[in-house]
Amino acid sequence: MNPIREYFQNIYDAVTSTYKGMRVTGRSFLKTQGFRKVRGGYDYGAGPVTISYPEIKDDIPSISRNRLFMHQDGCIACNQCAVICPVECITIESRKKSEDENPEARTPAEFGSKPVKLKLLRFDIDEALCCFCGLCTEVCPTECIVHTTEYEYSKFDRDNLIYDYLNFKDENPLPKG
Amino acid sequence: MQDFTSPQNEETVGLKTEELTINMGPQHPSTHGVLRLQIHSDGEVIRAAYPDIGYLHRCFEKHSESREYVQVIPFTDRMDYIAAMSQELGYVLAVEKLLGFEAPERAQGIRVIVCELQRIASHLLAVATYGLDMGGFAPFINAFRDREHVLRLFEEICGARLLYNYIRPGGVSRDLSPGVLDKIKDFVKYLKPCLDEFNELLTYNSIFVSRTTNVGIVTGEAAISYGFSGPNLRGSGIDVDIRRDAPYSGYDKYEFDVCVGLAERGTVGDCWNRYFVRVKEMYQSLRIISQAVEALPAGDAMGKVAKSPKPVGEIYMETECPRGNLGYHIVADGSKKPWRVKAKSPCFIATSSLDEMCRGMMIADVVSYLGSIDIVLGEVDR
Repeated sequence: MNPIREYFQNIYDAVTSTYKGMRVTGRSFLKTQGFRKVRGGYDYGAGPVTISYPEIKDDIPSISRNRLFMHQDGCIACNQCAVICPVECITIESRKKSEDENPEARTPAEFGSKPVKLKLLRFDIDEALCCFCGLCTEVCPTECIVHTTEYEYSKFDRDNLIYDYLNFKDENPLPKG
Repeated sequence: MQDFTSPQNEETVGLKTEELTINMGPQHPSTHGVLRLQIHSDGEVIRAAYPDIGYLHRCFEKHSESREYVQVIPFTDRMDYIAAMSQELGYVLAVEKLLGFEAPERAQGIRVIVCELQRIASHLLAVATYGLDMGGFAPFINAFRDREHVLRLFEEICGARLLYNYIRPGGVSRDLSPGVLDKIKDFVKYLKPCLDEFNELLTYNSIFVSRTTNVGIVTGEAAISYGFSGPNLRGSGIDVDIRRDAPYSGYDKYEFDVCVGLAERGTVGDCWNRYFVRVKEMYQSLRIISQAVEALPAGDAMGKVAKSPKPVGEIYMETECPRGNLGYHIVADGSKKPWRVKAKSPCFIATSSLDEMCRGMMIADVVSYLGSIDIVLGEVDR
């Protein structure tokens, strides 16, 4: 190609393709200036898509899998969750109930009224190990172990991520039923 | 043009030159993960580039020998964390084939929908980071905005954004609700103009085109002899797609084109063509999704399969993942746990081509080539 022609062709190409890119950017800029509402769902393509996170929190679906929670009343110490866990983050200890410990007890109706034959001594979940696969919540016969929608529970010390659900004090009291 | 690739001897130039060894990565932004490239360079020209992998090795194959079949699925997610749904599907289909079981029609439809959504999310990330490597920041932001919608859909479908554990032997763990189906339809409508906009922004941008065309040309024969698969192979002009050639999970019911590199710009097999195959595949994925959503039959999303299956036999199952053909070889001995699980990773094969392809390239073009083969180091190392 003629070098002079190539020179001007290059300038023309650069200017036109930069203009095309800037046009898209400008369009998006004008679109977000129009209405500035907090996103709470799927407003495809309209308005800004970023949120100021610590102040405004995104809505997450109720089935979202985040920190585990165990309802102490519902547990029958069947150990199924600890067995299915691929990373072995659940530790359960239990023993057989003695005569004076109400061996005929059942779990409350919301947990399926299952007979509680064992006394639960320890129920620890190491949230640092948990891989949030949700297998434990699926095998639980009384559905007492659930994934909550609580995701802000980072700690300075890894040991603090071991949750003892028999003496559970929630720092953000929002366990989902 | 001056030939940079010929060795310049001391007599003609009069200067003493020596080879310089530099490390690219493991924390280099354009190596897409933890890949270290040991580059021996002569000035700007590369004489050899040795990829050093293994920084993300997590013993997937050994781990799965001590886990039950269902427990392996979360580990397959973590192999290719960008396209976890497709990784699950390959493994689950292999287990189902061992059991001689076929998932219900509805489950198969749902699998196709989620896997194609995953393909869109994965390709969006691939083309976005490729644009970023080539110096375009706006396309990156635009593509991530769209990818976010897919991730939100996934969170609503199965409860997780990246590591799903959704597809199980027998079907899927949770049925799609009508509300989610409507949102998927909305998303298909939304994404098409966005992709057109993306093409305008990046694909035909003259700076991008001149940095990617005629760089890193892998001819069709070379691509086959390397063992490339997926978009990398199709970018070299080879018309192969497992979804069409050996359909699984009911892909034969849907109408779609297999996209190959057609040299709209540059030559077949260069970086631009590999990139553009991905963009074209996103349009095809949208086509498949809208057909699958329309044709989704009623029924069960989960068939009757034992909670801890005990298959016997040996199987090799390949599926078309966003990055190529992912194969699982499972040897089962009739116990609850697999005797051996081997994953054949398309990214590992793409990584193996780096040394030969990079010889004689300029350093800036390595970034171009590395981005265009779209490797994920989680899958390379496993």
